[in-house]
Amino acid sequence: MKEVLDNMADKASSGNNMLLSVRGVHKAFGLNEVLKGIDLDVGEGEVLALIGGNGAGKSTLMKIIMGIYQPDRGELSIAGETMSSLKPSAALARGIYMVPQEPMLFPNMTVEENVLIGFKEKTAVLKKKLVQIMDDIGWHLDLTRKAMSLSIAEQQLVELLRGLLRESRVLILDEPTSALTFDEVESLFKIVKDLQAKGIGIVYITHRLAEVFEIATDVAIMRDGIVTLKGKVVDFTREMLVKGLLPPNMEEMEEKEKEEETVLDYSKLQPVFELQDFSGYGFEDVNLKIYPGEILGVAGVVGAGRTELATTIFGRDRVLRGKAVLGGKDVTGMSTAQVLKEGINYVPEDRRLNGLFGISDVAANTTSSLLGDEKMGRVFLNKKAEEEVTQKYVDDFRTKVTGQDQIAGSLSGGNQQKIVIGRALSTNPRLVILDEPTRGIDAAARGDVYSIIHKLKSQGVAVMLISSDMEEIVELSDRAVVVFQGRIRGEFKKEEISQASLMAASFGVSE
Amino acid sequence: MKKALKRWETVLFCILILEFVIFASANSKFLMPRVLFGSINDIIPTCIISLFVTFVMITGGIDIQAGSIVGLTSIVLGVSWQDWGLNIWAASLLAILVAALAGSISGYFVAYCGVQPMVVTLGGSFLFSGIALLVSNLSATESYKGISGFPESFVSLSKKKLFGVIPNQVIIFLALAVIAYILLHKTKYGRKIFLVGVNQNAAEYSGINSRLVILSTYVLSSISASIAGIVLTSYLGTAKSDIGATLTMPIITAVVLGGTLSTGGKGSALGTSLAAVVIGMLRFGLPLCFKVSQQYLDIPVGLILLIVVIGRSIANNPKVVAKFAKGRM
Amino acid sequence: MGQFKKLLKSHEVSSFLFLVALILLVGCVNPSFLQPTSILNCFNDSVVFTLLAGGIAFVILTGEIDVSIGATLGISAAVGATLLRDGSNWMIAVLTALSIGAVVGLVNGLGVAVLNIPSLIFTLGVNGVVRGMIYVYTKGAWVENLPPAYTKLSNQPLVGQLTIFYGITLAGVIILHFVLTKTKKGKYFIAVGDNAAGANLVGIPAVQTKILAYVICGVFAAAAGMIYTSRIGFITPTAGNSYEMKAIAACVLGGISLSGGQGSLIGASIGAVIMSSISRILVFLGFSSDYDNTITGVLLITIVVINTVTQNKAILKNRHQILAARTAVKTGETERKGGLQQ
Repeated sequence: MKEVLDNMADKASSGNNMLLSVRGVHKAFGLNEVLKGIDLDVGEGEVLALIGGNGAGKSTLMKIIMGIYQPDRGELSIAGETMSSLKPSAALARGIYMVPQEPMLFPNMTVEENVLIGFKEKTAVLKKKLVQIMDDIGWHLDLTRKAMSLSIAEQQLVELLRGLLRESRVLILDEPTSALTFDEVESLFKIVKDLQAKGIGIVYITHRLAEVFEIATDVAIMRDGIVTLKGKVVDFTREMLVKGLLPPNMEEMEEKEKEEETVLDYSKLQPVFELQDFSGYGFEDVNLKIYPGEILGVAGVVGAGRTELATTIFGRDRVLRGKAVLGGKDVTGMSTAQVLKEGINYVPEDRRLNGLFGISDVAANTTSSLLGDEKMGRVFLNKKAEEEVTQKYVDDFRTKVTGQDQIAGSLSGGNQQKIVIGRALSTNPRLVILDEPTRGIDAAARGDVYSIIHKLKSQGVAVMLISSDMEEIVELSDRAVVVFQGRIRGEFKKEEISQASLMAASFGVSE
Repeated sequence: MKKALKRWETVLFCILILEFVIFASANSKFLMPRVLFGSINDIIPTCIISLFVTFVMITGGIDIQAGSIVGLTSIVLGVSWQDWGLNIWAASLLAILVAALAGSISGYFVAYCGVQPMVVTLGGSFLFSGIALLVSNLSATESYKGISGFPESFVSLSKKKLFGVIPNQVIIFLALAVIAYILLHKTKYGRKIFLVGVNQNAAEYSGINSRLVILSTYVLSSISASIAGIVLTSYLGTAKSDIGATLTMPIITAVVLGGTLSTGGKGSALGTSLAAVVIGMLRFGLPLCFKVSQQYLDIPVGLILLIVVIGRSIANNPKVVAKFAKGRM
Repeated sequence: MGQFKKLLKSHEVSSFLFLVALILLVGCVNPSFLQPTSILNCFNDSVVFTLLAGGIAFVILTGEIDVSIGATLGISAAVGATLLRDGSNWMIAVLTALSIGAVVGLVNGLGVAVLNIPSLIFTLGVNGVVRGMIYVYTKGAWVENLPPAYTKLSNQPLVGQLTIFYGITLAGVIILHFVLTKTKKGKYFIAVGDNAAGANLVGIPAVQTKILAYVICGVFAAAAGMIYTSRIGFITPTAGNSYEMKAIAACVLGGISLSGGQGSLIGASIGAVIMSSISRILVFLGFSSDYDNTITGVLLITIVVINTVTQNKAILKNRHQILAARTAVKTGETERKGGLQQ
């Protein structure tokens, strides 16, 4: 019953040995250059592990390969055939399939319908093939179940089945294990190895270094839009990979960092905020203390549970267990409005989704957290107070606006971020949680945000800095913790913080 | 945002002036206050209600039950006055309270249960017009006749004129327009309405109780519908359960034409007022000055709506035009 | 047993059971309702709404709405009836009416799918224009004196007491139901409404699908108009006024979600029967038919509120499960139920 997979193997072995070649691909969004000349190859039966931090450009590259984005420069060849421009339908037709991290299923359709939709062949034939494939890989799903009733692993399996049914020659798996349980990961690896044996090329995007050595034949590391390291997995050690993830001038920078260092004297400080066995959806048993005037770095990869931790503190989701205490007062399970009043504010990770009022003006954006405060008037909006507050933050942060009535959505990313940070500070919080405060903003704005954070510190505000940018954590933090799979994986004192130590813990490598 | 809105309001204002110039030059009777204000009764309910449906639409919702609330108000007012012996003003107050309750029921389902506003208010339009009919059956008067014979003080609500020229209804509309303007653009509450409509998540992250804000807009629009119902009952001198049945489409048209974004976050009291008057004048001027039959008037109103939305769509997305030109979609 | 449970869960089956329960309930109070004639009449009389609801179901399944179908019914009925009155061949009259419906649908489809205008707003504008054109066309007069051969058609039985119109409509609905649920292209409608971004990824032409949905909807409304003409025997300029709201309500009663991607044509037609039988049922129960709208409103709101609340709960639960799975990886423990069978 291995006929189908064998067919795929035939297809894969016909023609050139290289299934997918990427040459000199560049891509910029506005001024932000995301890909700066990428070269990659995937051959028959190769499993290429692609690793890199957030913002390294992995997903942009994959979208170009899938034909969702067009590259600015560079070329793509599939099985030796050079593609001038690629559309999703053309990529699919040429045997490239991506299993996205967040499956894109039709929730109201059955598993069978979800897999078979978009094919031209007869349903009966396809269905037979599908059953064969499931037999081959040994994973069985009830085909009549609605997609909305599937677990995330099962949804991924449906996506994988789609790709296999298409007789894809190259399968892209985008962090396939991020939501899988241990057993499911084992089964997935079995499938990957089986496919590899059939000559299918696989791009395996992951955040977990351990998986690279378990499953991949080749490895490539991306950082800041370039491939910093690639080769056969057997030629590398974990330490070498971790090093590849770090910026080249790291030692230099850490030197520089040491000069500015001012160590807090913890013996004189009382924690302003404390978490005790704090558990919620996406994180478990978190114990933390934050002191006034301290910047606590919270490192980890996206999906580690850091954002869930922060939003739960901020009253956006249910607390399952444990306590959150602010200045001696129990703030567990309070609503966002109450938490704000008690003195915590939060700068969301996803600015567009949760932070910015895109079609509102700068003033309305800056003061939105203050609407519960009498400072802005009891009933009527105190325009003068609004103007003062807005101007204060525009001036303090050197935000480039044409006026307070400029539409926030028309600002650059950096200036938008300054507006959202300004809002978080407008309530004079005792604890500010910054979630990826410099993501997607340019270097100048980044510098401005850093000086804002330093200023907060000098004013005695406690700062919880969530970042996937290890460099940022190293540069700013007085103390750092790493979250890995929803739990605190390590706590580092000022002198222990280094990109290498943080990176290793974030990727689940025990030292 | 303000600048763009101002521009749109200017456009509406120019259209209004243009209407006046064209209609007045076609028929000088158009400008006679008696004639002009005599027309107002037909459009005043739309004007009043669309002001507050604007609130609902700014939050990203929609209210198609307001028309049925007008009928419900009218009949509650009539029955409680005639058959239950309430004082006419107490009856009016009762009618407003009933409307507020109706609005809060729909608002609750939209805001707290997450049901689509369109479906909830569609159900509401059936429910409240149905209840209105049942209430009318409580009366000794047969429902098709309507309840009439209201006291002079109540009827004069719509018959009296300020300085002998401006009818009370116009005063009521202007007063409500000012209230809507202040609420929406000058208070903290109004700011919350906008913020919730622009980005409900971000509003929640700013500590705004977005659900309560959304619920409140449905209550307000229902109250405005009940005020329109009272005015209409006073003018007609008759309380009937179905007097608001045809209002839904004109209301939504006025709100959209007034510059309110149907996806929420944008809109203004002034824009809606102007749009409602523009539509009203069109409906009044065309028959008077160009002998256009009353029944044809849906065409120009519909066309204006279509032209505005198509124009906005093209202005916002020039690519669509290019695609069209290429002949592939 | 599992199959049976699944069947119960599907919306059209629960709508059907609701209808059966309704009929039995009324039968308990007033056994004369259980005569085949009166039950069949519930179906026969729903024919106009079945067509309207069936047509708009296509649009709603793709996640859009159409509030111009009442006017479309009106104008195609007016034009078709005028042609019949003036002695045209009935085929020509029907085909003309259907093409008018198709044109209105095409305009709606282009506005919504190509120009990306919110469907409620766009079809509202079209509704106004079309409604006005009925007056222009009829000059405000009734279209009367239709050939008796045509008006008699509405009482013509197909089998037993099932009228020919309902018979054809039912057959059409059943065929299209299978086209929608069983054929490749048919599934596009539901797919577009279910997950538009996902549909694009697997190469489904979302724009064309939506346009087609509107054209079908317009044609169905026109067909409803011609049957309306036959049943009523004359056309007033207000024919079909606010029928769009009742058709939408019928869809919701039949288990179609207004957010798209969920429901079926069979469901829509069952909803139409429930919708148009409420007043008849009230009479059999000894109530005044004045309760009609109240009952409709209560039913509508109850059904959507229950549906939405349960669905939102399921979504939240799913999200929490996903998050919980992330923290459970380390130990290999899993809280999931019904996981993968190895």
